[in-house]
Amino acid sequence: MGNFTLGRYIPLDSPVHRMDPRAKIMAMILMLVAIFFPAGWIGYALIFAVAAGMILLARLSFGFIWKSMKPMLFMMIFLLVINCLVLHTGTPLFAIGAFTIYSDAIFQTLYIIVRLLLMIMITTCLTATTKPLDMTLGIEDLLKPFERIHVPAHEIAMLISIALRFIPDLIEETERIMKAQESRGVDLREGKLTERIMAILSLIVPLFVSAFQRAEDLANAMEARGYAPGEPRTRYKVLRMETRDYVLVTGAACVLAAMIWLAYFA
Amino acid sequence: MPIAFEHVSHIYSEGTPYRYVALSDVSLDIPEGKITAIIGQTGSGKSTLVQHLNALLMPTSGTVRILDRTIEAGTRPKGLKSLRGQVGLVFQFPEYQLFEETVLKDVAFGPKNFGVSEEEAAVRARAALKLVGIAPEYEERSPLELSGGQKRRVAIAGILAMDPSVLVLDEPTAGLDPQGTVEMMKLFRSLNRDHGKTVLIVTHDMEQVFRWCDEVIVMANGKPRLQTEVKTFFEDSRLCREMDILPPALIRMKDALRERGFDIPAGIQDLDALAACIAGQVSHHG
Repeated sequence: MGNFTLGRYIPLDSPVHRMDPRAKIMAMILMLVAIFFPAGWIGYALIFAVAAGMILLARLSFGFIWKSMKPMLFMMIFLLVINCLVLHTGTPLFAIGAFTIYSDAIFQTLYIIVRLLLMIMITTCLTATTKPLDMTLGIEDLLKPFERIHVPAHEIAMLISIALRFIPDLIEETERIMKAQESRGVDLREGKLTERIMAILSLIVPLFVSAFQRAEDLANAMEARGYAPGEPRTRYKVLRMETRDYVLVTGAACVLAAMIWLAYFA
Repeated sequence: MPIAFEHVSHIYSEGTPYRYVALSDVSLDIPEGKITAIIGQTGSGKSTLVQHLNALLMPTSGTVRILDRTIEAGTRPKGLKSLRGQVGLVFQFPEYQLFEETVLKDVAFGPKNFGVSEEEAAVRARAALKLVGIAPEYEERSPLELSGGQKRRVAIAGILAMDPSVLVLDEPTAGLDPQGTVEMMKLFRSLNRDHGKTVLIVTHDMEQVFRWCDEVIVMANGKPRLQTEVKTFFEDSRLCREMDILPPALIRMKDALRERGFDIPAGIQDLDALAACIAGQVSHHG
């Protein structure tokens, strides 16, 4: 489970790591929106250049990005097959038996793959450089304006941070229980179907029991310290926007503007 | 055949920023047929060390020899299951591994996994429950409704029912009350003395090491710093203090008495002998 890279925080010291999470989230949203404008290959090249620049600035390796993408590989192949079966426009390229592959099928798939790739690059720039807790602080601040239309900004942020906080705990717990059951002769990799069902049961039941126990403990601990949702609260960590953060958001807005211009006016 | 570690290292998350060296170049022999305590600070590699004993963890480099198996770094040996049947590993807070509908079924789960028949597994489970002191009326209860101490016993019974020849326990008495702790330690002692099992105990409790164990291994920073007999280790408090370990109360008592001019011979290792020794010297003065 240690080689799961998509969405993982990488503790490094870089200018991107030090940026304000609100600026990073806003920039990410602007860039993601920008991807969806049909600005052709020039547009994608522009976004790729910006995203690659950010990755270098964040001192992340491209190998890490590639690892994050691996889980998507199956989906990409699946897309290609479906597109080849369904799309019959453009020029026929070549035939496999009685079946002809058209140029549009290939191009459509390539488009989607490039978009996915860019999205992963951009989101990784955010998730790999922002501590989960900073991220929720940022989300809470960005949702603040929506409180007027009764969006519970603080509760949503608290929910996310608790969920994120439990992920490593639950992974650790799963590994622990797996080891404990393996010590009792459970074989999680081989064995007959009934044995494997039993193996999974021996894992899931204790995991649920301990997850509920943890949730209850946490709720009690929070209440004991006077936590009440909706009450005004001060913060231990106060976020401050600095020049580089404004530059980042402005830069992302410029990319978005460029994409719109490329798509509709060029 | 002793248990041997030969230049064993274990590194977690190799190749990532989370890389962590838990064991570095560990070489040691653990004697068979004895009770060996493994002590050391939190994070000194105790738990990582014992997880190599039933091949839950593979060495990053080096070789582990246990019973008739040799586990070398970089290999994926087959048939680890049989090794796990022979080396029973009880994790810290083992009560979290209970999952079956009834206590009896949960304890019988281990032996059944190792190919023991349903009836035989139940017989063994009953015997193991008796050993840990769980009364027969609990057999049909759900393990989840027992108290913390009872759950712990049931979980340990689950390993004992596998009848392993080596028993490895990671802090088996953490969180138990003093009486429960003594009962537990008595059980491990009798498994060792009467049933000839090799017992390894990871613990923080020096009183336990002093009172119940034969050998002691001190771990520090992923390396064994010292391995010796418990008697030698606690002969005087210097060795303990060198290892940053608070010696057991009796040893501290001996130190305090010596400071005040009593002549306490090195061989005294229990309270009665100490009392007799003091009484002798006090009556001389009186």
